[in-house]
Amino acid sequence: MYSNAQAAIEDSTDVLTPTTVQCFPRTEEKKRSTVRKGLSISVSTPETLEALAVKVATERDRVAFKQLFAHFAPRIKSFILKQKVSDEVAEDLTQEVMVTVWQKAHLFDPQKARLSTWLVRIARNKFIDKVRRQKYIEVDVDNHMQSMEASEKTDVPVIQMQDQTRIVSALKILKPELRQVIELSFYQEMSHSQISAELGLPLGTVKSRIRIAFQKLRVELGEY
Amino acid sequence: MNQEVQTIEQAEAPGGRIADDWLIAYAAGNLSEAKSTLVATHASYHPELLDKIRDAESVAGALMGATDKAELSDGFFDRLMDTIDAQEGDASEVIDLSKKPSAVNPDIPQPLADYLNGDLEDVKWRFMGPGMKQAKLWTGENGEKLWLLKAKGGTEIPEHGHNGSEMTLVLKGSYHVNGQKFGVGDLEIASDEIEDHRPMIDDGEDCFCLVVTEAPIKLKSLMARAVQPFIGL
Repeated sequence: MYSNAQAAIEDSTDVLTPTTVQCFPRTEEKKRSTVRKGLSISVSTPETLEALAVKVATERDRVAFKQLFAHFAPRIKSFILKQKVSDEVAEDLTQEVMVTVWQKAHLFDPQKARLSTWLVRIARNKFIDKVRRQKYIEVDVDNHMQSMEASEKTDVPVIQMQDQTRIVSALKILKPELRQVIELSFYQEMSHSQISAELGLPLGTVKSRIRIAFQKLRVELGEY
Repeated sequence: MNQEVQTIEQAEAPGGRIADDWLIAYAAGNLSEAKSTLVATHASYHPELLDKIRDAESVAGALMGATDKAELSDGFFDRLMDTIDAQEGDASEVIDLSKKPSAVNPDIPQPLADYLNGDLEDVKWRFMGPGMKQAKLWTGENGEKLWLLKAKGGTEIPEHGHNGSEMTLVLKGSYHVNGQKFGVGDLEIASDEIEDHRPMIDDGEDCFCLVVTEAPIKLKSLMARAVQPFIGL
């Protein structure tokens, strides 16, 4: 289970382009350049996933939506499957998340958050709603004042701190025992006592590892 | 299916602020309805906690974005578009989706206003004891409860130790307990084992708190025994 999670992080570099465009899948990139072949204008940088979401919101663009789907739907399903639900439940939830993306794309603000962050919140809330049958109240973390000030203070724009490549590299350089507790928290949605049982560690050790790992990640991300 | 969530025994709130491991638990979806509502409301008072939740959610997003792709069943996209088209045809659904989030309430943080779908006046207050009223909001499995407390200034909350563990978030007013003051936005965690837990509401305005209570350990084990044959623990 842990090795899977680790492999996912190792793999991630394959799907990420090293340029400023982090998440654009290469196949789509190719497709676009073919489409534009006949035009004399130079092909601009491929659109980010965030830009595709904006197109879905403003133009109800089904091609853009299909591109988002191709990138995210299999990953959302994969992420939900790690919660030990059936394939059927994972597909139902993935469908609900994608329906929400289509219907609520106008609520996504690319200046404030990465699309993957927005999607993972939707997936989390759908999962809790359907599987645990509970409400999960959201708190708006993207629009408070200090958030903007903090980014000036550290010279790292908030949106850049959320950059996937950056976060994945920050996770990679964590000590394995620190990365492990972060991955178990997020991938398996394990409670701290479950992690403690899984790893055979005292609860206090699990908690302090989670805190240290998070603090180190935030340092790497330029939060301090 | 993983449904185990954090218990109050695992919570710490030094200086009245929830510790980082619980902010991560919130971001990862590891809290019950009662505790997620409490943590979201608590964080709303403290920008540094909001920043941490944002960072933890970004980590979750990056992990999702970097995960291996699962195989989707045949025709998934077409079925998805059919569902979308069917729902677009339904006018009522469209209106419902364009509904604005509830109005900003100056008295209580947005997450709590969302949860109550209103404010502190909209809940059903019941007599709890001299100078005290309570409004029950949610009861979960194992006897976990989310409720609101309204207490008049100068009220001493009677000894209620060994009544299970408690997380108390101050929404208005303030109180003292064992020499420590808890004001607006502060979170107090009182474990099951704590002796002599008698909060004293400070003189003056009414004190409003959002409280999560877990059933006492004794009761919990009783309940566990009662359901044991059914869930096969």
